[in-house]
Amino acid sequence: MRPSDIPVEAWLLFAAPIAAILFGFFVLRPRKPEWTHLPILLSCAIVTACSFALAARVYTGHSFDVNIWRWAAAGKWAVDFGLRVDGPGVAVLAMVSLVGSLIHVYAAGYMKGDAGFSRFFLVFHLFFLAMIGLLTANNYVQLYLFWELVGVASYLLVGFWYHKESARKAALKAFMTNRVGDFGFLLALLYILTYFKVGHFNLIYLQVAYAQQQGVLPEALPVIGLLLIWAACAKSAQFPLYFWLPDAMEGPTPTSALMHAATMVTAGVFLLVRSWPLIAVTPWLPPLVAGIGAFTAVFAAVIAATKKDLKRILAYSTVSHLGIMMLALGLGQIGLAVFHLVVHGFFKAVLFLCAGNVGHAIHQPTANVDDVGGWRKALPWTYACFLIAALSLSGVWPFAGFFSKDAILDAAWQYGGWIKWVSLPIAFGSAFYIFRMLLLTFHGSRPEQAGLKKHPHEAEPILVVPVFFIALGAALAGLLAPGIERLVLYGWRGLPLGLPGVAGVLNLPGSPAVPALSFHDLFGRGGLMALFGFLAAYYLTMVDAGWDWRWRRNSPALEAVFESDFGWKIVVARFVDGVAAFARFVGRVLDKKWWDGLIEGSADASRGVSASLAGYASGRLNDYLWWMAAGAALLIGRALR
Amino acid sequence: MSPLTVLWVLPLVGAAACLVAGRFGREAAKICALVFGAAFFGAALTITILTGGAGSVSAAGAPLAFGVSYLLSADGLSLSLILLTAFLNLICVAASWKQDASAGYWAAFLALASALTGVFLARDLFLFYIFWEATLIPMFFIIGLWGSDNRRHAAVKFFLFTFAGSVLMLLALIALVVAKHSQTGVWTWDLAALKEAPVGAAGPWIFLGLLLGFGVKIPVVPLHTWLPDAHTEAPAAGSVMLAGVMLKMGLYGLIRVALPLFPAYAASWAPWLAGLAALNAVYGALCAMAQTDLKRLIAYSSIAHLGFCLLGVVSGAPQGVAGGALQMINHGITTGALFLLVGFLYERAHKRGLSDFGALAGRAPRMAFFFGFSILASIGLPGLNGFVGEFMCLSGIAHSPIPLLNLPVFAVAGAVGVTLAAAYALPAYQAVFWAPEGPDSVSSHVPDLDLREKSILWTLCALMLWIGLSPASWIALIEPSVRGIYR
Repeated sequence: MRPSDIPVEAWLLFAAPIAAILFGFFVLRPRKPEWTHLPILLSCAIVTACSFALAARVYTGHSFDVNIWRWAAAGKWAVDFGLRVDGPGVAVLAMVSLVGSLIHVYAAGYMKGDAGFSRFFLVFHLFFLAMIGLLTANNYVQLYLFWELVGVASYLLVGFWYHKESARKAALKAFMTNRVGDFGFLLALLYILTYFKVGHFNLIYLQVAYAQQQGVLPEALPVIGLLLIWAACAKSAQFPLYFWLPDAMEGPTPTSALMHAATMVTAGVFLLVRSWPLIAVTPWLPPLVAGIGAFTAVFAAVIAATKKDLKRILAYSTVSHLGIMMLALGLGQIGLAVFHLVVHGFFKAVLFLCAGNVGHAIHQPTANVDDVGGWRKALPWTYACFLIAALSLSGVWPFAGFFSKDAILDAAWQYGGWIKWVSLPIAFGSAFYIFRMLLLTFHGSRPEQAGLKKHPHEAEPILVVPVFFIALGAALAGLLAPGIERLVLYGWRGLPLGLPGVAGVLNLPGSPAVPALSFHDLFGRGGLMALFGFLAAYYLTMVDAGWDWRWRRNSPALEAVFESDFGWKIVVARFVDGVAAFARFVGRVLDKKWWDGLIEGSADASRGVSASLAGYASGRLNDYLWWMAAGAALLIGRALR
Repeated sequence: MSPLTVLWVLPLVGAAACLVAGRFGREAAKICALVFGAAFFGAALTITILTGGAGSVSAAGAPLAFGVSYLLSADGLSLSLILLTAFLNLICVAASWKQDASAGYWAAFLALASALTGVFLARDLFLFYIFWEATLIPMFFIIGLWGSDNRRHAAVKFFLFTFAGSVLMLLALIALVVAKHSQTGVWTWDLAALKEAPVGAAGPWIFLGLLLGFGVKIPVVPLHTWLPDAHTEAPAAGSVMLAGVMLKMGLYGLIRVALPLFPAYAASWAPWLAGLAALNAVYGALCAMAQTDLKRLIAYSSIAHLGFCLLGVVSGAPQGVAGGALQMINHGITTGALFLLVGFLYERAHKRGLSDFGALAGRAPRMAFFFGFSILASIGLPGLNGFVGEFMCLSGIAHSPIPLLNLPVFAVAGAVGVTLAAAYALPAYQAVFWAPEGPDSVSSHVPDLDLREKSILWTLCALMLWIGLSPASWIALIEPSVRGIYR
């Protein structure tokens, strides 16, 4: 396939957002900043249509991977940029463009009247564009480019309200943590180019498959895999690098929705999906991924259950669900991981936008459980959407989450070992924290809450209709399960992977075969745990309604433990302080005071000496020339000897 | 007259013309500087386009005494650096337009451009040395006469440091020529001829002398302490030329003279050089993190960036050497833009401390945009120019054909440097543009950029984007001339 054969919808995927951003920046921003969103919304519509067209193309077997231009080359070293439209890419792309576009519509209502309206939309769309680029990159260097662009856009959006100190800190934290992750990605990139001589996914898959068949895998492969996992841990907010995500909700709510659902945190999981053939050949890496995922999923679910800020609960919930995706990957269930990524995108976008509407009802960017309570009747549409998403998240049949999350948990159960037992608390915890949040917000209200005194009001239609459509997705996306599974597998198989003995990616070692989904098992166990979770949440919010406030009052030490994420936040803060102190020492003491001081001091000393030798400095050019000649002769003489 | 002679004589004539025009008033000198700057840039561009960068144009005169001869030549590396010189010189003239400077100011910049061009053209080492020293004089005056408060001290420190370096270099060159003469019986300073015969036992000492001479200029830690003072005290345009072009003389000397003359030592000493380069990248970034003055911060970031260049150049891999050379151009553009922006801030408010401003994103949104753009280019955001160079340098070191150099420690140190870059750049950006104004804030004295300033910065930012998205054509200009240095 040549670049000229690339279908027009693939070009439009880039042309539309770039044109919209440029037009908005150069034409509308100086003149009519309040119109900036118009070309951008048009671009969203185009991108959504195009990505569905591409999904259909891939679904019918026409995935493609083509180089477009040579980015850089020196000697035998070369990096080409191109487009790869394949199963995992378009499956995520379709969700990202649909959900992302609806969030754009929501943002048009939410951000109306903000002083930075046009800046917001331009960066917001850049964020979206970066994710599209990430999903269609055909090699690691290009992926890295968009990966970093995603990071910068998120930095600008998290710090959007930069007059707030918390927003500035959160933006810096997000960017720096991701940068620490990128440290791994950059090194992985360097070693990929060194060992494979190429960055293209396709060619790397082939080389790995061939090497595996020959039984000689490059020694650096485990290291490369480890570095990629490290990078994914930062972007996809996994332990130990997850801590930036909960703070990142300092940005406007549409940012959080886009970031958690579609454009940012999914990038890490996607990187691992793309790299899975490299990672899976090292036997100990998939269990590591599964372990990180399982640990993070439980850890974050526990913390989510203790938070009071609505957006913070959702942020920890995202961390937990990303852990579930990593768990799926670690178990070799790539299709399920991608599928859960898609489903999670739908329900998490709904939850964030509903949280935005809840805050909007009392004119705050975010709300706390103390501010709300009993809002079911005041915000009926928001309540309905939230309920659908909550049911989906906790995996209640027939909502979409059942088909993705519970399938992963069932895979873990089938896998056995300690991972088997992790599936139960995850199912319980998810249902508990989300229904705790739902009941605290919309039912009640409890004496501790100010909810009904604040006279909340339902948001205007532009803030409800898009959420409703995404909620439809959160309810019904389960129907897509077979389609996405097929898309993902087809995408891998559609490209030349069929070397003898290597049937497909899923059969590489490290991805144990999992028995077919047993519906009754699944419905019984997953559903039961979710039911327990719901009942526990119901009891602690509706029956023993003051529990949430009581335990905080009675045991502040316990709250401090949860507040510091079991101490991990303190460890991180110590590390950051340590680096800063070291930099201050190097910059101010070692460099300035000691080393430069020594040099300046020697100048002073030599001034004293020179004063005594001043007689030789006659000021006559002839004398100096003689001195120079003598010195040079001396040195030449020595050099020759 | 050969076109290459025209190239270095033209700005020198311009400098003289400025001084003459100065008799008719400061405006006349300024216009003269603009006209000659533009003519110089046009000439450089024309020669680059006509030769395609690849063809080597030479000018040669008959040998004078002791084998010294007038030898000039231009390949892709020289031409790209001359283009950078001419471009930044023009930018500097445009950026200082509102400064009511005397004729000497404009003349100094043109004289500096002339000397720098000579350095990049000379293929006779004596000529190279003359031009090399000649760059010091105009820069000494630029810092010492038109700098900020502590300018005298900084100018003298700059002069003594770099002069000490060049004396070592001169001694090494003399020793080299004499050694060659004792081996072959021929006096020659011709670089190409000197590459041929072996040097003998004095070799390591000569190589060391050259390294020290070039190392001061790069600057390699621990020879760097002149740089923060000189950059901070120089006027904005002076810092642009200093960081943009003069630092590159050290690396250029390494690529053009030291490494090709001693390929064997270049390979065997490479691990030490790479260690110093990695130290530069990390040490510079750490020092930058500790600064409270914007200009000092950018100055230390230059040390870090030049560390990446050096890492690439000593790696010996094609992408590393080409990347190191490209990164010299990138650093000139990006750091140039940053120094100009700090200069614009200083012009308006006479402050450059991190805590002297605040909330500028609201008061001066254009300045915030360009500063943010340049900062992102500087910390190596992919898609902008800084990433290309850094990435190629690191890729070169990871893939180095020289034993020991492909040890992970160098690439890891480089990656640490990349990570730390964000840790000094973004907090500084936030302090100036995002944080609320403190009680002593001078942000209210900062009007936004005007059309002239905006046009200058658009030009620089467009270049950053161009090189970032499509570096292949730039690499193609440079790469053929650095290809052979390790053979």
